[in-house]
Amino acid sequence: MNKKAPPSLSDKIILNLKVLAEEKESVRRKLAVTAAKLVVTAEKLAATAREKESVRRKLAVTAAKLAVTAREKESVRRKLAVTAEKLRRAYETLEKKVRERTKSLEMARAKEEAILLSIGDGLLATDEKGNIIFINKTAEHLLGKKSKDVVGKNFAAVIPLEDEKGVTIPLEKHPVNMVLVAGVTTAALPAVYYKRKDKKRSPLSIMATPVILDRKVIGTIKVFRDITYEREIDKAKTEFVSLASHQLRTPLSTVNWYAEMLLAGDVGALNEKQQKYLDEVYRSNQRMVELVNALLDVASLELGTFIIDPEPTDICALSENVIDEQRPQIMTRKLQFSFSCAKNISLMQADPKLLRMVIQNILSNAVKYTAEGGTIDLTITLADKKNVLLKLSDTGYGIPKNQQNRIFTKLFRADNVRDKDTDGTGLGLYIVKSIVENSGGNVRFVSSEKGTTFYVSLPLNGMKESPTEGGIR
Amino acid sequence: MKTQKTILIIEDEKSLRGALVDILHRKGFFSLEARNGREGVDLALGNHPDLILLDLIMPEMDGNTALKKIREDAWGKEVPTIILTNLSATNELSANDAVTHYLIKSDWKLHDIVRKIEEILA
Repeated sequence: MNKKAPPSLSDKIILNLKVLAEEKESVRRKLAVTAAKLVVTAEKLAATAREKESVRRKLAVTAAKLAVTAREKESVRRKLAVTAEKLRRAYETLEKKVRERTKSLEMARAKEEAILLSIGDGLLATDEKGNIIFINKTAEHLLGKKSKDVVGKNFAAVIPLEDEKGVTIPLEKHPVNMVLVAGVTTAALPAVYYKRKDKKRSPLSIMATPVILDRKVIGTIKVFRDITYEREIDKAKTEFVSLASHQLRTPLSTVNWYAEMLLAGDVGALNEKQQKYLDEVYRSNQRMVELVNALLDVASLELGTFIIDPEPTDICALSENVIDEQRPQIMTRKLQFSFSCAKNISLMQADPKLLRMVIQNILSNAVKYTAEGGTIDLTITLADKKNVLLKLSDTGYGIPKNQQNRIFTKLFRADNVRDKDTDGTGLGLYIVKSIVENSGGNVRFVSSEKGTTFYVSLPLNGMKESPTEGGIR
Repeated sequence: MKTQKTILIIEDEKSLRGALVDILHRKGFFSLEARNGREGVDLALGNHPDLILLDLIMPEMDGNTALKKIREDAWGKEVPTIILTNLSATNELSANDAVTHYLIKSDWKLHDIVRKIEEILA
């Protein structure tokens, strides 16, 4: 616009229009630019939208997954809750059972302890070192000591033992020690004394055994009791036998001796009749002596007061001797007699007087109960390395079948021999069986109407010495 | 027999003592009689017999006690003694030693007892 010359109106309009056009153009350009910018922006937005969409999708997937996981979790949680409940219940049941079981175990234990405590014999248990772990009431009473004073202490210090003469039993002979150290399965001391604090001595019978767990000795059990009463009974029995033997034999001895002097003509000759009568008296008296002797033997065997005094014994020589004694009867009855004794039999450890009684009894039975002219065979052999076998066969009357089971019974005599012979005590085979079985042997027989064979088996080292206790038997 | 031997019989049973005295006299022995252990010990220690026959169960003093007392004496330690009893032997009693013998009366004939005495004194 030119200010120096006033523009015409048209000029003015044209100018205005030009200006306007220019402005328009400017605006248009600006708009174009803006449009271009918008396009870019739109494109960016589109891209962003795409990305967002993609993210959204991913999120959706994730959300879906999470939802699944959440469901799973819920399910697991429920299951866990169920399991927890079950566990809780199980635990409660267990708790209850444990309580009950504990209670019943305690009861059982208390019962067992009460049983142990109340046993009528003294009971003492030690561990593997010999330390006392338990004693019962009877033991407390017998030893005169309280459980609390001895538990944990060594047995040897608590229970000093002595023998009959008051000599202390050495530790190695103590039954508990025998079990622990020597490894014996049972150690018994039948007669020891325990001196109590009050100086009273009690005879005790002791038995000790090992306590074995998993093949290891974990301790010992000792059972003991006071045998004062048994001792007294034993003594009374022994006195009875001795008194009986004395009382019964004294008058018999008198008759024996005077009859013997008369028969020997010491106070003048007897006439034939007198001699015969007196002979009857004498022989009957002899039978009475034998009967008394047999009864005393039986009494001694039964009362356990028989003295067994084993020594090396030649069974062959001893048998010869017994046979010689019976030779007269064998001759009188015209019996065929044979005897053989194996040479390889060593000396037996046996009491000769008991062995003699065995052979004597079975042989005299054979002689007595075989008819005139019959046969008797005695053979003695080694049955094996440890045993001797006596076999005595006769062709005698035999033992009736229905009485064979009673033949070893005291005072029993079979019917068929009672008819034939009034002699005999019915004690012989009873004595034989007692001696043989006490010696660790056995006796059996086979018998028919044609004869009898007795088999006596005896161990070579058989007879055990009887305890050397004082007193008269 | 050159010199008459003296036998001391210690026995409470009169009939048995009588039989022993009779047979011993018949066989040429001299006898002393005691009715119980106490008398026996006195007679033994006072008279020193050659041999003693000794019963066990007797009143006043029994045979075992009497034997113990006799054996305590210097002379008595060695005197041959036959325990002549009707008691069955026991471990203690039957232990025969050189000077003590053990016989059961009812098992022994009188004449065998005399033979035994003669054997011991021979």
